[in-house]
Amino acid sequence: MPQYMLLLYDNSENRDLFHKMSPEEMQKAIEKYMAWTKKPFTRDSKRLAEDLGRVIRSDRGKPRVADGPYSETKEVLGGYYTIEAGNYDEAVKLTLDHPHLEHGGTIEVRQVYGT
Amino acid sequence: MTPFPGTGALLEHLFRHQAGRMVAHLARLLGPSQLDLAEETVQEAMLRALQTWPYQGVPANATAWLFRVAHNVAIDTLRRNQALGEKTNSIVTELARSATIRPNDPDVEEQLRDDELRMIFMCCHPQISRDVSVALSLKTVGGFSVREIARAFLADDAAIAQRLVRAKRQIREQRLTLDMPRGDELKSRLDSVLDVLYFMFNEGYAAHEGGDLIRQDLCIEALRLGRLVAASSIALPRVHALVALMALQAARLRARVDESGDLILLEYQDRSRWDQQLIGLGFHHFNQSIAGDEVSEYHVQAAIAATHARATGRQSIDWPVILQLYDQLLSLNGSPVVALNRAVAVARVHGPATALAAIEPLESDAKLRNYYLRLAVRGHLLLELGRGIEAAACFRAALECPCSDPERRFLRRKLAECEPL
Repeated sequence: MPQYMLLLYDNSENRDLFHKMSPEEMQKAIEKYMAWTKKPFTRDSKRLAEDLGRVIRSDRGKPRVADGPYSETKEVLGGYYTIEAGNYDEAVKLTLDHPHLEHGGTIEVRQVYGT
Repeated sequence: MTPFPGTGALLEHLFRHQAGRMVAHLARLLGPSQLDLAEETVQEAMLRALQTWPYQGVPANATAWLFRVAHNVAIDTLRRNQALGEKTNSIVTELARSATIRPNDPDVEEQLRDDELRMIFMCCHPQISRDVSVALSLKTVGGFSVREIARAFLADDAAIAQRLVRAKRQIREQRLTLDMPRGDELKSRLDSVLDVLYFMFNEGYAAHEGGDLIRQDLCIEALRLGRLVAASSIALPRVHALVALMALQAARLRARVDESGDLILLEYQDRSRWDQQLIGLGFHHFNQSIAGDEVSEYHVQAAIAATHARATGRQSIDWPVILQLYDQLLSLNGSPVVALNRAVAVARVHGPATALAAIEPLESDAKLRNYYLRLAVRGHLLLELGRGIEAAACFRAALECPCSDPERRFLRRKLAECEPL
């Protein structure tokens, strides 16, 4: 079955929301996310570390390494899921109830090539 | 066949309770003047849980994880801002040492309970006024947010936030410490702790819309803190009496309103909806409270609640005993509100006419003159005496007084009984 990657982006809106949550609300949110993660079609999920990251660019044929821009950029890739779905429409449909969207985050859906 | 490790369910209110414990614990290490830092640190640790657990699963020991991350966040913050000046290094060392504690180990648990207890005792310092103490206790040891406290008190967020800022300034300026007071001071501080817990409980217990669980959470939190004090070495009999009172009352929380959110008077409640576990807890503490000679107001109130709990039905409520207890309560606390409650027992034992005469003097009391409950009780007695027109006037007057929506609906129902179609 085709696999799709769900790329979860954080932005200032959902970061703000999370910051203002009470412990009770945070627990409720975690439980919601967890319930989604445990759905039968998910194959993998990873969180990316919250640091600057590194970007390697080719500078006239030579690799140049720089700190990532990720602390300032508006949208930052926070983590990803891999799910299985019949086609794009189904992948999107399965993702629509992801709690990340309730909290103001963004999700990009991309099919994994060759699956 | 889930590929994710540790996806077990979290205990109910785990975050709220652990937030309180972590703040109390960190405040001991950082010093009470750094309460804000302790709170922000805990918030950050929970935020990291929120950002990672959904992907990686809940760690095997979620509580230990939260403690470790909170310690590390505190260490990073201190190193960065050096807020504690020359003390920074020694505190960082202490934090690093305690970062790997296992909060569920019995020894550590005892230390954490002790931290919470000290925090409650500081929050209830006589230098801090009672409503501020309640908000501060809920925020620091209760793990409630400003918004949740505001909702529970029907206040706005800014007012509660301001109250907390004032309290923390007082802690800094008066140099309040987390040291337990000794001797007589301990006893008087214990009394203010009980006073704050009782106030917290009553705020939550006051009639409200059934849907807003946050107020019930206040009752449960007051009960939890009460049990924490009761389990400590400073538990005087009156502590057990208060815990008994709160547990017996909390047992009836569910049965107080019907499906449409309307109030049901104690007598008419469906006893099968009372929480038997809480009733058991109440009697357990009630039995402990009667060790020794002490008779506090909490004792008498708990005895009244226990008498109600012992009755198997409406017909078997022992009203003469309840009346005796009210007489005793009135001699300990001559408040007109107690006299008003006593009137209900008088009516059951000696009839509505005697009860009506008993509450007549309360009409001249400035606080009670326009108190909806006095008017409601009076209306009720008049109705029992068949004086429907006067009763209706009372319920109408009661409806003019401040009260909650369920109470208002209750009064309207009573008013309708006065005026047969």
